[in-house]
Amino acid sequence: MFMLISKFPKRVSPKILIKALFAFVLIFCFNTLLVAQKNVQIKGTVKDETGKPIPGASVRVKGTTSGVTCTDLGTFTISVPANQKLVVSATGYTAKEIVVAADAKTANVTLTQFVTELGSVVVIGYGTQRKEAVTGSVATISGDKLNEIPSANISQALQGRVAGVEISQTDSRPGSTMQIRIRGTRSLNASNDALVVLDGIPFPGSIGDIDPGEIKSIDILKDASATAIYGSRGANGVILVTTNKGRQGAKPHITYNGYYGIKNAIKYPMMNGADFWKLRQTANLYRTSPGADEDTTGKTNTDWQDLLYQTGYVTSNDLSVTGGTEKGSYQIGGSYYKDQAVIPGQYYTRYSLHSAIDQEIGKFVRIGFTTNNSYGITNGATLNAGTALSTTPISNPYNADGSLKRTVKMTMDENWVYTKQSLNALGNQFVDLTRAFNSYNNIYGELKVPGVPGLKYRANIGLNYRQSNYGGYTGYGFNSSSATTISSATISNSNTTNWAIENLLTYEKTIAGKHKISATALASSEQTAYWYSTINATGIQNDAFQFYNMGAVTDPNGQITVNPNNQSAWKRGLVSYMGRVMYSYNDRYMISAAVRSDAASVLAPGHQWHNYPAVSAGWNIAKESFMQNVKAIDNLKVRIGYGETSNQSVNPYQTLGTLTPVGYNFGTTNTTGYNVSLLPNPSLGWEYSKTWNYGVDFSILKNRLSGTIEYYSQKTNDVLQSVSLPATAGVGSVLQNIGNTQNKGFELALNGTILENKNGWTWDAGINVYSNHNKLLSLASGATQDVNNWWFVGHPIDAIYDYQKIGLWQTTDKDYQYLQTYEPGGNAGMIKVKYTGTYNSNGSPTRAIGAADRQILDMQPKFEGGFNTRVTYKGFDLSIVGAFKSGGTLISTLYGATGYYNMESGRRENVKIDYWTPTNTNAKYPNPAGIINSNNPKYGTTLGYFDASYLKIRTISLGYNFNPKWMKAAGADRMRVYITAQNPLVLFSPYHKESGQDPETNSYGTQNQAVTNYPYRMLVVGSNTPSTKNFIIGCNLTF
Amino acid sequence: MKHIHIKHLMGSVLIVFFLAGCSKVLNETPQSTYTPVYFSTVNGVTGGITALYANLRNFYGNGYYLDACQVGTDESTYGQNADQNFKDLDLSGVGQVTGTSSRSDVLWNAIFPTINTASGVIQYGTAAGVSSSLIAEARFFRAFDYFMLVQTFGGVPLDMGSGILKFNTSAVRTSSRNTVPDVYTKAIFPDLDTAIANLPATGRVTGGVTKTLASLYLAKAYLTYGWWLENPNNIPTYPTCARTDPNGHNAQWYYQQAYNVATAAIQNPGPFGLMATFYDLNVATNDRNKEVLFYADHSLSTQYGGLTSTSYSSGGSPDNFAGWMEQFNYTGISSAKTAAWTSTANTVQRASVQDLGRPWTEICPPIGVFKNTFADKTNDSRYDATFTTVYRSNMAEAGLPQTTYYNANALPITEGSPVLTFLNNDTTAGLVDYSNSVYKSAIGAGVLPGRADYVIEPSAISRIKYPGNWKLGPYRTDNGTGLGNPNAGSTRPWNIAKFSELFFIAAEAAVKGAATTAVTGTYANDGTARGLINIIRARAGTWRWSHAGNTAYAVNNSAAMIAATPATVDINFILAERSREYFGEGYRWYDLVRTQTWGQYGTPYTICGTAWTDRTQVTVNRTIPVTYYIRPIPQGQLDAMLMSDSLKASYQNPGY
Repeated sequence: MFMLISKFPKRVSPKILIKALFAFVLIFCFNTLLVAQKNVQIKGTVKDETGKPIPGASVRVKGTTSGVTCTDLGTFTISVPANQKLVVSATGYTAKEIVVAADAKTANVTLTQFVTELGSVVVIGYGTQRKEAVTGSVATISGDKLNEIPSANISQALQGRVAGVEISQTDSRPGSTMQIRIRGTRSLNASNDALVVLDGIPFPGSIGDIDPGEIKSIDILKDASATAIYGSRGANGVILVTTNKGRQGAKPHITYNGYYGIKNAIKYPMMNGADFWKLRQTANLYRTSPGADEDTTGKTNTDWQDLLYQTGYVTSNDLSVTGGTEKGSYQIGGSYYKDQAVIPGQYYTRYSLHSAIDQEIGKFVRIGFTTNNSYGITNGATLNAGTALSTTPISNPYNADGSLKRTVKMTMDENWVYTKQSLNALGNQFVDLTRAFNSYNNIYGELKVPGVPGLKYRANIGLNYRQSNYGGYTGYGFNSSSATTISSATISNSNTTNWAIENLLTYEKTIAGKHKISATALASSEQTAYWYSTINATGIQNDAFQFYNMGAVTDPNGQITVNPNNQSAWKRGLVSYMGRVMYSYNDRYMISAAVRSDAASVLAPGHQWHNYPAVSAGWNIAKESFMQNVKAIDNLKVRIGYGETSNQSVNPYQTLGTLTPVGYNFGTTNTTGYNVSLLPNPSLGWEYSKTWNYGVDFSILKNRLSGTIEYYSQKTNDVLQSVSLPATAGVGSVLQNIGNTQNKGFELALNGTILENKNGWTWDAGINVYSNHNKLLSLASGATQDVNNWWFVGHPIDAIYDYQKIGLWQTTDKDYQYLQTYEPGGNAGMIKVKYTGTYNSNGSPTRAIGAADRQILDMQPKFEGGFNTRVTYKGFDLSIVGAFKSGGTLISTLYGATGYYNMESGRRENVKIDYWTPTNTNAKYPNPAGIINSNNPKYGTTLGYFDASYLKIRTISLGYNFNPKWMKAAGADRMRVYITAQNPLVLFSPYHKESGQDPETNSYGTQNQAVTNYPYRMLVVGSNTPSTKNFIIGCNLTF
Repeated sequence: MKHIHIKHLMGSVLIVFFLAGCSKVLNETPQSTYTPVYFSTVNGVTGGITALYANLRNFYGNGYYLDACQVGTDESTYGQNADQNFKDLDLSGVGQVTGTSSRSDVLWNAIFPTINTASGVIQYGTAAGVSSSLIAEARFFRAFDYFMLVQTFGGVPLDMGSGILKFNTSAVRTSSRNTVPDVYTKAIFPDLDTAIANLPATGRVTGGVTKTLASLYLAKAYLTYGWWLENPNNIPTYPTCARTDPNGHNAQWYYQQAYNVATAAIQNPGPFGLMATFYDLNVATNDRNKEVLFYADHSLSTQYGGLTSTSYSSGGSPDNFAGWMEQFNYTGISSAKTAAWTSTANTVQRASVQDLGRPWTEICPPIGVFKNTFADKTNDSRYDATFTTVYRSNMAEAGLPQTTYYNANALPITEGSPVLTFLNNDTTAGLVDYSNSVYKSAIGAGVLPGRADYVIEPSAISRIKYPGNWKLGPYRTDNGTGLGNPNAGSTRPWNIAKFSELFFIAAEAAVKGAATTAVTGTYANDGTARGLINIIRARAGTWRWSHAGNTAYAVNNSAAMIAATPATVDINFILAERSREYFGEGYRWYDLVRTQTWGQYGTPYTICGTAWTDRTQVTVNRTIPVTYYIRPIPQGQLDAMLMSDSLKASYQNPGY
């Protein structure tokens, strides 16, 4: 086996890896076999420091797995070989060893409780630290807490739970993950995504690949003094994910967690037939033609959303076994998760397998591995609500005989009849399937250097593989007005391999009982390789083939396309060295200093290396003698930290420039040319951030109330920016290091126990509030604005550049007499936008409203946060998790101009609005019969901006823990059943008030709209699969 | 045992250290993308030239660029479905032309990258070992591109960042404009001279540029520059400069050069020439014919043919979607299922055939086009082969359940029957019954006694119903027996330049005083403006096929056409003739601007309103300031430049 391991670095073959993994699993399972000896009978009681019995404590013969569990009265009986040691342990207590004398009959043991949370251990990257000694900004959330909310992935589970961690929905389809921003955005073109580290190794995959049920804890490093040890990857914060492990010496436990829930769509607010008919008449642009599928009297009222949506469901089943041997531990788990959307054919399924094994060999060596594997299936990702939202309610989907039409013809458009019935009837005519297999593996070996106590060497090897295989097929006429529209099939494959090797030396020493030193040195390198290919074929006539035979193009008009712009391959590598020293004196004064040096392949030669210093210090004031009399304060710590981090998350080969292929046909001769699309930049270097962090941790009233307050200030320099050049430069863009950004913010997290077992009632509550103020400090060459990218110095990175709606033009307005000067061709009831020009002496404007009047509209919220509360009484528990946001701008493309759902022209179905008419002048929306620009009311984009504030309850859960006695009788340790309502309530939100919709975004800025106007980075509400209200029933069982 | 394990572990540790120090991890070698270094190879340079052709699709065939070339002239106004993209350019009080709305941005944004690629080819081509005739193609493109720019915007920058006419590799975010004479004398003329010297007579590839094409553009550039130097109507230019030629010539000299170059090209046509009839020139089955010198090619291929999808386009380059603009929504025409007119059906459905296509109703021809420009619809075949005047039923392709429907006067119609006809002339007042009381056309069309088709008189042409521009209609080879894919971009080439224009250029130069000499060869004539134009008019009088009648029609009206030519051909006659020859193809705004007659021709125009039933002619006045003879610099350019507001303001053309 070891021979296998030693071979890995030479050639990283997935085959060998998989074989080795299986070998590991088998051999360690056999290690649990035992040998029996001659025994004595011992009876005893296990109690805590106050003398209360500890039910369920484990008593075990050292070096074996043979043992018993204490009764509810804390008593146990065990038969032990003479002169053996017993190990007594219980959750929340420090384990104790006792020696059983040859003649002993009884043994009473007292266990000491861990010193609450402060004594707990925090994962800080390349090691752990007692929470008490942490000097950086680290937030920890346990897997138990995380899994109080049933969630599809880590990002969903974290939403609203940690101060400073903003999690935004970018997609509402099954299987989608959310965007994680730790303390804001700082980069313009490089990635703003946090680094995820899975079991110690930087995680190259998709966060949706990790089964949240397998998570033991998540530790989030927020400030640079904590993240600098990740150097070039630390600028956006680090999320350390630790998966479940077995416990050395613990008995095997089987845990099952499962739930099932139904999902109901929150419908988009569209007009009904009568309202729509009225709008069409008012707009007077489109008239229903006889013979079209629209009712010429406006009486038909088809709810296309009702015809499309079904009840969706979500289910998750997690099963795992954990246990340990004398010198080893193991964990094996598997899970199944499925989310079926409200749109038929759209679903996500994930199967996962997780295992962790750890084994000591002799005195000095320890080895182990963790493996996380999953297989995810996504189908129907291209389906959405768009067609249902654009088909007029007065169009009739049924033929006279009651059968469904293929298409409905409106005045200008002909839409495919997009209903669940027609989708379900597609059979082989439609498939849209992504199958992703991934395997994330971490193998480690640890060596205690003999003769030097406290010195350890550890090697971590990460071997990761991800494959995503897409196949799509649409048969003739699918979703097209023409039944003969040719069939189309696409296949694509992406593969990612990643290896990482870390060599760590750690040294720990305590001098004179008060000086604690811990030092770490790291040398590491890693490389990720990615390759992607895709082929498209049209004219496959046998539906059954779908995309499985791309060569079977039998239609003479079919073609096979291998577009050179859609193939890709890249490699990126990173070489790093890091050193860190942490020192604490008497647990009162702590200091930590680190320096890391990184080189990245994606930067230009000569600019590849950068150094990252970090230092932080803390003072545990509560431990000072002068505080000993202040009984109310249990803990008080102040911290300060400074660190540098950077960002190299730009695409490979950007320093070299790019030629983009373009195809052309000279008559029937096809050939490919090239355009310069990106200029080379031989001086592309690091974008780096400097952060100061100040924090106070406290707990008072016998730890009933604890909290953290932090303030940070971060400046990012040499921002990697894709500079879009004016057309006259002849080249679209170049990537440069220019500009500076800043993030300043404040975070508060409070956790309190309001009632502690008062008459059986316990009530805990927690809240986190944070605000982040992002600002662009400078752009390229002293520019104050980059209009094309919507970047403006002094404003946040995300700012809208558009006209500012100040109302509608009313005939009673004082300046109405100048309407034609302001707006040539304008009319009463049109959108009135702010004019910034000068005026003539008579009060008339000197020019028409135009480009110069565009305004910079900040999108940034004032503050946001989350809250959670949990009440328990006897076996019952009720928890509520909520989130809130104050201020900021929500872009709804449903109401704005880019979705084409609020054209007010009566051409297509319209979102339900109150619009201006000569008799309804007090409306919010403009006159449908007014001036039109790009198919929408002029300045229609301004209609899509809403106050983004909201307060919503994300989940309410009611659980019941069955009486441990009954469980015992049934052979189980613990069983909890619960019901959960997800998305049950929006308590405050201007957008919700008007639309009845969820106030969260569901698309990137360029998605789920008819035309693009917003940058991709800006999240918007579009016509994605609708949000849902879910009702879930679930069960947690351990035995 | 344990000892051995440790040994192996140590071994693995050593390997790990070795790998960690490996600097290979930091090297970059792209395996799927090209870098600009590729331009130093023959294949790279050739690929650059291919891109020059492909980039034509970024404005030719783009409906919004066609909009900028047409709307506001006597040929075009905005249609019923038009938004501000079209209304702004109409200059009739329904919008305003600004840097954001001019739609000339389509040209501006597409053309500079092409110029830069051309400069790269010219600069590196010889060193890479590319032949001079290939480099001449790049020279043609650079000259052509600058000629398009200087006609549209006035003076434009010759230095894109790395020096005058140099391949730009620097990330400059400033720009400064050269004057009009600079652009002509430093870029356009020298490049075209070199191009003519080195280009082949027959294209290197199908649709490849040739000596004849370069001659056409040189002649046109001389002519245009001659007008600019002469400036008869005192139209301002920008950047401001004296109307003197750096080469010391006057307008007259350039008119003469235009004449000489154009007539020489007519005398030595190479493989090019006029098609026998105007119909044959424009019918889709004859695409890429000998009369078309230059086109942005398209095909059914999504990878090469500039087609974003074979079934649907949202209307953007590189799709060829300009043909959708000038087509009205004929799909609303209704016929009856029974002779008693109890229920109705749409008997002309949206189809990808040249007569029909996707109806966006954005650009509309004013009534003057039918009454004045194409007053002669019987001798001159060009009216017949410019418009779809007869909308025929495609009930079979549409898969309608019946083979006979009932139309006007309850008369039966079948597959291919005319359902709607735009009449050549107005009839006796009141003869056409537009009431739609019995026979509900649903589009406000009228009924003439005894005719099964609905009719519309020229006076009833409105912003919502007008004959579609047949020349630009789609054509596909994959329709089968159905309607095809009318919502996709057109798979036809977009014609940019035709052999016939050489006659117009020479004639215009002659009108402007160029000394004439008799032209010999296939197109022999006396070399006067009248003689040259009559070659075109004679061809226009030749019929082979009646488009409106959908039948063979071998008639030769050439003599009548020639007889109708005025004794003295003046600029007005040339402009009218150009409008008949190139109607709606994107020539008009440039023609009116070159000849400084936009103010005269652009206003007023007459059209009926936007409701189907509207038959009230409205005369609309346009306001055409002299500063509008050059289009505004696009706002995107101004936004992207890093310059002071005052410098940006002076970069913009005055009046915007």
